[in-house]
Amino acid sequence: MNTQRYSSLLSRSRLFGLVGGMLSLWAAAVLPAQAQDAEQSQIERGEYLARAGDCVACHITEGGKPFAGGLAFELPFGTLYSPNITPDKETGIGDWSDDDFVNAMQKGVGKDGKHYYPAFPYTSYTLMPREDILAIKAYLFSLEPVHQPNRDNDIGFPFNQRWGMMFWNWMFNDNERFKPDPEQSAEWNRGAYLVEGLGHCGECHTPRNLFQARDSSKALAGAEIQGWKAWNITSDDEHGIGAWPDEALASYLSAGHAEGYGVAGGPMAEVVNHSLRFLTPEDINAMVVYLKSVEPQSEGIKRPPLKQLEASVPQQTDHPLGRKLFADTCVSCHSWDGNGRQTPYAALKGLRTVHDPEALNLIQILLDGDALHTANGNYVMPSFGEAYSNEELAELSNFVLEHFGEVEGQLDAKTVEERRQAP
Amino acid sequence: MLTLTINDVDLEVDVPDDMPLLWVLRDVLGMTGTKYGCGIAQCGVCTVHMNGNAVRSCVLPVSEAAGNKITTIEAIGKTALGKRVQQAWLEHEVVQCGYCQSGQIMAAVALLEKVPDVDDADIDLGMAGNMCRCCTYTRIRGAIKSVAKA
Repeated sequence: MNTQRYSSLLSRSRLFGLVGGMLSLWAAAVLPAQAQDAEQSQIERGEYLARAGDCVACHITEGGKPFAGGLAFELPFGTLYSPNITPDKETGIGDWSDDDFVNAMQKGVGKDGKHYYPAFPYTSYTLMPREDILAIKAYLFSLEPVHQPNRDNDIGFPFNQRWGMMFWNWMFNDNERFKPDPEQSAEWNRGAYLVEGLGHCGECHTPRNLFQARDSSKALAGAEIQGWKAWNITSDDEHGIGAWPDEALASYLSAGHAEGYGVAGGPMAEVVNHSLRFLTPEDINAMVVYLKSVEPQSEGIKRPPLKQLEASVPQQTDHPLGRKLFADTCVSCHSWDGNGRQTPYAALKGLRTVHDPEALNLIQILLDGDALHTANGNYVMPSFGEAYSNEELAELSNFVLEHFGEVEGQLDAKTVEERRQAP
Repeated sequence: MLTLTINDVDLEVDVPDDMPLLWVLRDVLGMTGTKYGCGIAQCGVCTVHMNGNAVRSCVLPVSEAAGNKITTIEAIGKTALGKRVQQAWLEHEVVQCGYCQSGQIMAAVALLEKVPDVDDADIDLGMAGNMCRCCTYTRIRGAIKSVAKA
């Protein structure tokens, strides 16, 4: 638009002599500044959208440069590595055209015609309109180029035949933009776009079918990913987030915590750290409105009843070793009553994590620790994988499930060892 | 500006919300009776009371402390129970190097307030999070039990 206006004004200036000369002076002084402003605001919008899309979570390695890629994705058929998306011309996307970038985001096809694997969530990003995608491109191109060659994927036959993705895309990528539902509010539509498109929540929270595509009949019903449970986030009261007050859900999304409901851990803590905490309250609210309307699915782990526990040592337990370890190491932050001692971020009551008989997320967090960065401060859970044996961690988990949840944990040393070895 | 109530005195401090209370106590207010040990709530030497409960001040963001009643080792002797615990510590010659003892005393007072008639099992579990590298544990146990019996 601006370029058009600019050139038509310039041609008129040639026709109208002095007046035209003044006009062209004005154009030179003002319009480029406007164009610059427009470019700047596109970059800023792109930065916000890139955050909402959580691009950096995958396009970075630990200690690496943002957007330079290299992160490994261990999948059932091999290992993929995320590419460099900085504007480096040789190793990044510096010489990509607008169409190249839009094709990658909407169709999952790179500049060289290579088909991407759906570890790159283009089946969600495809909902994005061209102008949002180009804003992200403008933002990426405003960054410092990083010269970092991409790592080759390590995938065996037949999955290394990228053209096979054509059939997959034909079946599983709708390649359609988001269409607002006129029956719903603007808020709901914005939330739907953020959850289903940019935020690509379903990439973790929706189970996958035999072909590794999201099972749309179970949208957001919860799934297992990277050894973690991505919980059911449908509107089901018991299994999902239906019973969460709106403020609790908004607090969980924006600050990683809703007392008595959930604390973001593992991959979800990363989503909060890199993405959700930067969203405006209006966008968070829109996501809440939409999530509350998602068709309920009664699958997965229920939220445990809120137990009334004493702030002192429980006298009865089937797991005395676990109780001893909890007293040694955990109680100083988590407290016997499940309320969290120094901060409600450490509260264990009401969490699905302490009510899951497999203790998937619980053991992950014990082994590796966790860190959550929020506007309320930084919260760190130390890792205990090196400090305790498999048997100790199993018994500690069994005690936590018994005391804070209402399930009989059956974890043993062998299971903990398997979790340690899992990639 | 945050207002903290420490040892029954209201104090205004100009610090970031996420600064741990321990930093505020030691570096801003100069109250160095509370010690720094591990910094991750694993050793117990930084223990203070918040509304009567033992908390680890090294991981307690100061904003969470504001509006609550904080008691530190400097004032624990002003309560009857605190005084008795300190006296028992002297009678049993508990202290060796002394570095962990502020935390031990704060933890012991909080335990005795909840469970006045403690037995060995209560002490084992109630004091479990407080380390002592000089291994004064048997004397700590003796001192706590003498207060419980009295």
